[in-house]
Amino acid sequence: MNQTTRDLPVVDALRLPEEIRALLRPDELLADRAGRQHRLPRFFYEVRSWSQAKELLLTPHVRLSELLIVDSREAPRLLEDFPHYVPCAVSLLARIIEDLRAKVGAPVFVAANGGYRSPAHRLSVHASPHLWAAAADIYRVGDTWLNTQSSVEKYGTLARELLPDVNVLPFGHQPGETDDHLHLALGYLRAVPAGCDERGSELNSGNPGATLPALLAPSPFESASAQTS
Amino acid sequence: MPATLPAKNFPLLDQIREIGRQARVSALAVALYDYALDLRFSVQASRVFHAASTIKLAILFALYRAAETERVRLTDRLHVRNRFRSQADGSTFFLQADRDGDPDLYKRVGRTATLQELAETMIVRSSNLATNLLLDHLEVPFVTEMLAAAGLEGLRCVRGVEDEAAFARGMNNSVTADGLLEFFRRVHESRALGAENRDRLFDILFQQRFNAMLPAGIPDSAKARVAHKTGEISTVTHDAGMVFLPGRAPYALVILTEYPSAGTGGARNKTVAAVSAAVYEFLQAAGSAATS
Ligand SMILES: [Zn+2]
Repeated sequence: MNQTTRDLPVVDALRLPEEIRALLRPDELLADRAGRQHRLPRFFYEVRSWSQAKELLLTPHVRLSELLIVDSREAPRLLEDFPHYVPCAVSLLARIIEDLRAKVGAPVFVAANGGYRSPAHRLSVHASPHLWAAAADIYRVGDTWLNTQSSVEKYGTLARELLPDVNVLPFGHQPGETDDHLHLALGYLRAVPAGCDERGSELNSGNPGATLPALLAPSPFESASAQTS
Repeated sequence: MPATLPAKNFPLLDQIREIGRQARVSALAVALYDYALDLRFSVQASRVFHAASTIKLAILFALYRAAETERVRLTDRLHVRNRFRSQADGSTFFLQADRDGDPDLYKRVGRTATLQELAETMIVRSSNLATNLLLDHLEVPFVTEMLAAAGLEGLRCVRGVEDEAAFARGMNNSVTADGLLEFFRRVHESRALGAENRDRLFDILFQQRFNAMLPAGIPDSAKARVAHKTGEISTVTHDAGMVFLPGRAPYALVILTEYPSAGTGGARNKTVAAVSAAVYEFLQAAGSAATS
């Protein structure tokens, strides 16, 4: 029986040890390339091993591991040690990839560093939906490599037909364009599963009087398996 | 002090010149150092040549220096991506799989490979994609710094493979026969790398798949093991390496050739092999004379 996200604990990253919090930076603001500020995710699935990530099906054809492959530019703690943490939006990202797969009738391949990467990843200079687990860099569909204008545009158009709000970067060689993959993004999507308590965000929202213990309620996740809402 | 052979009226020199003349080379450089006889021989060894794929030795060396200084680990994984920025102007360029010594690595685009795997494919199959990935990761200034620190000024690494914008501006990787000879000597003597990394580096060079030049000049009966790297592009054809023969100390040999017109393979490989054969026969004769 394959595992699903229902089998994964949801953690409030504000409660994680300082060492991990410093890498995930939950609820902190981060500027995108244009200077717009975005609040980083706070609720994460906890993945206890690589074999669990490989076995876990987010959708019938998308395994969690496919969206977690990063190279040595990721922070060593997040690359080599478990548990791993992945923002809860990952299941919605998998859904759009699954739907695209069904629409084109061929497997859809996500590049290394092109699923979720943390704010500590060396490619994470600016805010990007990848840091929210809400973007995928698709480098191949079936036997087609997305390294031409026509292939990037074709699959970008098909993705938009699935969901008009999906953001795809145009083909090109400049920053903000892509020439060897299709960047498909759901935006800066903060998924807060049912059962989560968002108190405590005030800490990072300019409430100088707030302290972490006072703001955090007892963990609601002791036995719960949460559902993305 | 090694014995330096007189350049004039020396049969090996005459032989090499004759090989070059018959092949119509525009330049032929040879650098030899034999540990058994403590003998050094060179022809045009300070002449600068386009490096072609021999520059991969410089990148391999820098990688092992980076591992030695814990800048990287050889088990680190790198995203295999066929997309590079020119060292000249930052413009984007891509490699062509059908022009690469190793088309297989292109099947792994989008996935990851370890630095050790990339080092092996860069040398053994002369993969241009692996070369550019490693150079991108290490960065040109680091490679230059490592070469300078090791006293290897004869190797000049300024760009990746097929960086046309850099090529158009005259930015080319270059080598001298002396520079490559020094590379092999310093690595072999553990002057440039620790013994463990030296052995790893030689292990990769021993697996070389392109064996039509330097090893082809040595008879099979000699049971030689050759740690080497070839380089062939357009007007140049090179081979540089270290020859290990049973029961004797090794010799380092670098053979660089340049032609007035473009072409690779066949006859040009045979020219390098002929020089290798002449050197082998000369050392055999000199060794017998020294021991009789
Ligand atoms: Zn992307």
